[in-house]
Amino acid sequence: MFDWFKKFTSPKLLRAKGVLGMNARNFHIISQYNPRRLYPLVDDKVQTKALALQYGVNTPNLIGVIEHQFQVKNILKMVENHSEFVVKPSHGSGGKGVLVIKGYEANSFTLPSGKTMTYNELYQHISNILSGLYSLGGRYDSALVEEVVHFSDIFKDYSYQGVPDVRVIVYKGYPIMAMSRLSTAESGGRANLHQGAVGVGLDIKTGKTKKAVQHNMPITYHPDTKADLRKIVVPLWREHLLIAAKAYEMTGLGYFGADIVLDAQKGPMMLELNARPGLAIQIANGLGLKKAIKRVDKKYPSGLTAEQRVDYVLA
Amino acid sequence: MKKLISVRLILSIGLILSMIFAGYSIYYKIKYWGFSISPKQNTNVWAIEANINFIADGSPIKVSLGIPTQNKGFKILEENIIANGYKTQKHADRIVFSARNMIGEQNLYYKIIVFDNINTKDKLKDKAPKAPRIPPFDEQKMAQAQQILDIVEQSEGKDTVEKLIKLFNEEPLNPALKSYIPVQNTTKSKINQMRELLAIEGISTRIARGLNLEEGQKVTPDMMLEAYMDGAWRIYDVSTGERGLPDNFLLFQRGGDSLLDVEGGTDSSVKFSIAKSITSTMNLASQRAKQSKKAGWFDHSIYTLPLAQQNTLKWLSVFPIGILLVVLMRNIVGVQTMGTFTPMLISMSLVKTGFITGLVCFLAIILLGLGIRFIMSKLNLLLVPRISAVVIFVILIIHALTFVGYNFDIKIAQASVFFPIIITAWVIERASITWEEDGPLNAGTELLNSLLVGIIVYFIIANDYVRHIMFVFNELNIVILFIVMLLGTYTGYRLTELRRFAPLVKKVK
Repeated sequence: MFDWFKKFTSPKLLRAKGVLGMNARNFHIISQYNPRRLYPLVDDKVQTKALALQYGVNTPNLIGVIEHQFQVKNILKMVENHSEFVVKPSHGSGGKGVLVIKGYEANSFTLPSGKTMTYNELYQHISNILSGLYSLGGRYDSALVEEVVHFSDIFKDYSYQGVPDVRVIVYKGYPIMAMSRLSTAESGGRANLHQGAVGVGLDIKTGKTKKAVQHNMPITYHPDTKADLRKIVVPLWREHLLIAAKAYEMTGLGYFGADIVLDAQKGPMMLELNARPGLAIQIANGLGLKKAIKRVDKKYPSGLTAEQRVDYVLA
Repeated sequence: MKKLISVRLILSIGLILSMIFAGYSIYYKIKYWGFSISPKQNTNVWAIEANINFIADGSPIKVSLGIPTQNKGFKILEENIIANGYKTQKHADRIVFSARNMIGEQNLYYKIIVFDNINTKDKLKDKAPKAPRIPPFDEQKMAQAQQILDIVEQSEGKDTVEKLIKLFNEEPLNPALKSYIPVQNTTKSKINQMRELLAIEGISTRIARGLNLEEGQKVTPDMMLEAYMDGAWRIYDVSTGERGLPDNFLLFQRGGDSLLDVEGGTDSSVKFSIAKSITSTMNLASQRAKQSKKAGWFDHSIYTLPLAQQNTLKWLSVFPIGILLVVLMRNIVGVQTMGTFTPMLISMSLVKTGFITGLVCFLAIILLGLGIRFIMSKLNLLLVPRISAVVIFVILIIHALTFVGYNFDIKIAQASVFFPIIITAWVIERASITWEEDGPLNAGTELLNSLLVGIIVYFIIANDYVRHIMFVFNELNIVILFIVMLLGTYTGYRLTELRRFAPLVKKVK
């Protein structure tokens, strides 16, 4: 009974640590700095991609968009010049409904896990995307077809299937906290921490591991690959931060999370933006967001360009 | 930060104002409209009819009857006078009938409907009397009286009056008293003897008359003795000496006057008949409110609506408190539920079906529905048709349960009819999606949380007191509104976050 209570901590300790709670995030940050009208820019990946192109931010190349049910049958024609492709819902979140096809012939489509699916199953999947199964609010959606990201080998040992990405929290244009999410067998190849993915807190100045957690508890080795998580150093760190910082000008949002993947040839690419990023990043970093936010409010200069801001953070 | 403080300030002021308003309004409703806090559905209502009978001798008639006043314990709902050919005039505590040229037997009726006495036992306010007149006794009688007063002095009891009354009611009578009072003694003369003795002691007294409210015909009014002691009139039961008004006793007349005065008639008498009926408290309250001087406000309140509408509103006015609870559970405790108001809907259904039956039914429908949904997920249907199919399946499950329930006389199964079909279908759909995406553990937890919050809300909104109070004192909903809005500015940690973020501040071994 008392052991159960010991799992709780006191609000005082959390405050001292500068931990940002859900209510405070919604009230002080999101409702103040993220005007509702800007949400479609990040919720709709088609719009985000167009913006990114405009601002010179790298994203996976768009092959095509399927907006209506009758267009689903054009999928093969759409991808005829590509040996592999990704299908994802335009309004999806958290990797829901993302389908990666590593290769295909006739009626057989190969998935990254080696499994195959039939044309009918692919057709069905796209139909589901259009009907809003994977989308915010379950509304009708469109399906994005884009090029596959070839992950840099750096992360190869650190991820069980799935997409290892870097999430950067940006406040008033300044990257303030970062983590990498590594999928595990338990998370089913997904990068969601609450499903059992590993969260690796990254030092915002260096891109090096600060701390790694799974299910909120510190770990040292990846549970599946047994790789030493302390040794992660994200290459091209400045470029990662720059993409995140540029998204501030792109969207006008005061607070967001940028999900960035590292392509072996093309470097860091922005996958998606999130106007309501989760709070688990604090656990992965062992740091409270409130402290970082206060620091930006009090000390960081305003009116800088994205490059200047990144340099300010790195300095 | 500044913005938050001013928002909070405005809302806090709003909350305080709404509380003051609600407080006053509740006070007003209780005091003037007779609304009560307890949900006791029925109140005793007494119909009392006073029948004045006398023989008119042709001279101008003036009949004066003591009547209960509003401030003496009972609340008068209705007053009715039947007196053909008489002019009537009402004073504060008497009604006067007058007429000319009447001959023969006369019957006058004064009817009132009163409801339960509220506790006003100690509120018998009246002006202080003059010092009593010492009765003109001869020496021998005075000595006898003095002897009795000495006995009274030594006997046990709270005060002189009580001791005296007890002495008068002793069986067998004290010899000293027995020789003092006549052998044949009526209640009235007994009271008069007590009054004389008390006057010697310097205590002013008077007779009060009233009715013990018990159903009956031709009831004669009971007499009680009032004595002025310690600066206030106190009333005593002349057969027991007990102080204070007995329950269900309706005072008709106090002071020196008699209950009935008849001029221009002979053989006058007043007989009472008493009948009891039971009316709903709300009904009574609305009638009373209409009568009261400040009826204007009431005329524009929901309590003047037809009962059917009132019942709907009664049902609605309990929701805000449930909503408050949902807000608390989500924003302060941080419980993850399936959709914001799913728990609310579950609790509403539970109210309709009954607790256990509803719970069993709900689980049965959800589990069966989930099973069917899993079979359907293999068919790869599109979203809208799939949910529609689930809706139809839910309807079919309800068909089956109702049929089984009826044929095997299982009441539980029949209650399934009350579940909102579309909501249930959505819960199934959401549960199955959560199941597929976040695993059965998450789906189960969310479902269980929703059910748990629903059960808590149920116990609040199903409570008779809560329902009664939230409807009768519906201004409380404004208070809840401000509380909910104030909660909207709560930016502290949620209870579950204290656990979620615990690894951040704890050193783990």
